[in-house]
Amino acid sequence: MEGNREMGPKLLDLIPQGRKWYQEDKNNTDQEKKLELRLGPPGGDEEDHSAIKKKNTETRNIKKETEDKSFHCFNGNHFSSSNKTTYVPHISHKRTAPGPVVGWPPVRSFRKNLASTSSSKLGNESSLHGGQINKSDDGEKQVEPKKEGMFVKINMDGVPIGRKVDLNAYNSYEQLSFAVDKLFRGLLAAQRDTSGGEGEEKPIIGLLDGKGEFTLTYEDNEGDKMLVGDVPWQMFVSSVKRLRVIKSSEISSALTFGWSKQEKMKH
Amino acid sequence: MTQDRSEMSEDDDDQQSSPLDLPSTAIASSSTPNKSRNCISSSVTLKSQTFPDHVLENVLENVLQFLDSRCDRNAASLVCKSWWRVEALTRSEVFIGNCYALSPARLTQRFKRVRSLVLKGKPRFADFNLMPPDWGANFAPWVSTMAKAYPWLEKVDLKRMFVTDDDLALLADSFPGFKELILVCCEGFGTSGIAIVTNKCRKLKVLDLIESEVTDDEVDWISCFPEDVTCLESLAFDCVEAPINFKALEGLVARSPFLKKLRLNRFVSLVELHRLLLGAPQLTSLGTGSFSHDEEPRSEQEPDYAAAFRACKSVVCLSGFRELMPEYLPAIFPVCANLTSLNFSYANISPDMFKPIILNCHKLQVFWALDSICDEGLQAVAATCKELRELRIFPFDPREDSEGPVSELGLQAISEGCRKLESILYFCQRMTNAAVIAMSENCPELTVFRLCIMGRHRPDHVTGKPMDEGFGAIVKNCKKLTRLAVSGLLTDQAFRYMGEYGKLVRTLSVAFAGDSDMALRHVLEGCPRLQKLEIRDSPFGDVALRSGMHRYYNMRFVWMSACSLSKGCCKDIARVMPNLVVEVIGSDDDDDNRDYVETLYMYRSLDGPRNDAPKFVTIL
Repeated sequence: MEGNREMGPKLLDLIPQGRKWYQEDKNNTDQEKKLELRLGPPGGDEEDHSAIKKKNTETRNIKKETEDKSFHCFNGNHFSSSNKTTYVPHISHKRTAPGPVVGWPPVRSFRKNLASTSSSKLGNESSLHGGQINKSDDGEKQVEPKKEGMFVKINMDGVPIGRKVDLNAYNSYEQLSFAVDKLFRGLLAAQRDTSGGEGEEKPIIGLLDGKGEFTLTYEDNEGDKMLVGDVPWQMFVSSVKRLRVIKSSEISSALTFGWSKQEKMKH
Repeated sequence: MTQDRSEMSEDDDDQQSSPLDLPSTAIASSSTPNKSRNCISSSVTLKSQTFPDHVLENVLENVLQFLDSRCDRNAASLVCKSWWRVEALTRSEVFIGNCYALSPARLTQRFKRVRSLVLKGKPRFADFNLMPPDWGANFAPWVSTMAKAYPWLEKVDLKRMFVTDDDLALLADSFPGFKELILVCCEGFGTSGIAIVTNKCRKLKVLDLIESEVTDDEVDWISCFPEDVTCLESLAFDCVEAPINFKALEGLVARSPFLKKLRLNRFVSLVELHRLLLGAPQLTSLGTGSFSHDEEPRSEQEPDYAAAFRACKSVVCLSGFRELMPEYLPAIFPVCANLTSLNFSYANISPDMFKPIILNCHKLQVFWALDSICDEGLQAVAATCKELRELRIFPFDPREDSEGPVSELGLQAISEGCRKLESILYFCQRMTNAAVIAMSENCPELTVFRLCIMGRHRPDHVTGKPMDEGFGAIVKNCKKLTRLAVSGLLTDQAFRYMGEYGKLVRTLSVAFAGDSDMALRHVLEGCPRLQKLEIRDSPFGDVALRSGMHRYYNMRFVWMSACSLSKGCCKDIARVMPNLVVEVIGSDDDDDNRDYVETLYMYRSLDGPRNDAPKFVTIL
């Protein structure tokens, strides 16, 4: 492999045949040197490095015949069925692959998102849902429309825990209404059933027409509380800041006096 | 040492060094039916069929009852058939290190009065996405078999198993006296399954969900606990990524007078934590939840968090801090002096914030943190925590090329300050042989040494040499070493050392290391206690694999992925060793004729290959 001193360097010679690629050097300039077009023989700088690396090269060469075939056989994700773990059959022996290697460093996935969760001091839950709600330093919330996810908080009368919905996931009020039912049906039933058994779950309907037990309202970017459904969907999405499902019987007082009464009842 | 076992979820919990797990015991018994030849009971049966037998067995039963350690029990069961029988009747706690080593039926046929089961499923490398999902380790066949056989089952402790909501429902329905459910690194279930357990298991003392994936079915499982006073002693749900009903939790804690351990998830805010603490001063172990606020706090109404911690005089184990607001950290000062275990591994704390805290923690024995505390923070630990037994430093930024805030300096400091250290897991970007050697000399009590130099093939960054001498010193000087994980640039020499000195090593993890088959041969030929071997991306081939054939029946498993193995060799081994299950795991598109083995996972089994293997697993 290194016996090409008599001949001039050919293009192929400059590509490290001896799989010296993967010997990871701390500075990448070594790798770049190997790729340089030079007049000297290939591998000429190797003597500067420790003898060990050379030995590594030679012994690894022996093993490579069988693996070369497999080199091309793995590509991409074959197992994307579960969104929890994606298994990528990684290419073996591609030791200094410039990209990351599957499962290395060996840190479990729930420990990997620390950079996003702990950096926000305002306890933002965006990393859970993958969406981003930008909060500038003075605490003002800015909702970014049309990005990966547009999450707004939604609370419901009688349910202490608030949730979040991604408005970008829906195209119409009907879809939103359906999602609200899905989100809160179980929680509401659990709240209402005080005996600890399994409550009967009633669907939450009529959110938009005032006919159901509950009605969906929202607070817009000017702080006004409004009924959901009056303006075109896109206009709604661009102006909504948060949502609230209130009892239909209290529509007028909520819209006049605001939600604060209901919010206090949360605690 | 008050180490909470549920804290050490990644740790190897079989402390005993006996190679005799359930399977090998059974193999020994079934393959030597004439063992009873020399045994008392058989000579007695020649004379009289019933009377002396009963007396002997009664005596034995009363004596063997007191045997707790499974090591001792496995030994006792080999004495003779009578002892085997009585031991089987009196064993109430069963440990199964590999769920595929035997079938559930075999378990229930041998042991009749089991109250507690510890069951482990997937191999550890599955945690790092090296195995496709749906590989197996299903709890379902176990719970359905035990439902009929063990009505008095009280405790189930699962690790890396696939558990469904239906399984949990069956469990809740089948065992009226059920007391303890511990799920570590499990998945497949959600809050609805948990709700069924909390609702139906009226005697529940322990519900520990640790590092498991729990789907959010939007069920208020906390409200499902019965209304009257509970038996709860431990409730850990810090891994549950779903909001909870805080009011219900408060009520639950208020009616759980025996509650000692509570680990909250990140959906519990500081304010809520404060309220809980005021109502539960008897807690000994606390997971603090988010340790932050949702909204801007109104400063004039800010609760006195320190006072709440001051009231918790019994807290010795502290964790959580999932979304830490560092300015509130000083609230924990009042409990620091009592702490024996502190887990900051979710908190990005700088050295300046960290040092004032740790300087108070003189009694600390277990400490987990992120490398954000830097070498400086580790020096502070070394200066203060003279009782430290276990240290784990995780990377805040787990990428190969990230900036590494901890290095050999931190390791050296710890080795000099914490002489009683027994277990260490250390992620770093750069390391030197000198520091590792220093640790081997300063910390003779080390049983677990796991060093992860995150850049692959990185040498000693000062000398440029491989890390052979460092790891060599560890196996040579740490005479009690049972678990080793290596990294960095390593030649065959490192493995030569392991084979020569690592006589007690039971678990070995190798990645991107070694030069040739000789390396693996050294280990397989030199480490008689080796039980669990996991190797990835290392140049070990068929010759090495064959060299270990005399060992595989005495091991729990061997994992080799991205090595140089051929299918032919694996087939040979499978043919020669019928009690070994040889799984080749690949991708769906694999050409069956291809000889290359992407992942080999092999393990001994009494009941042959499993019948639930998915498509991508080929059992040879």
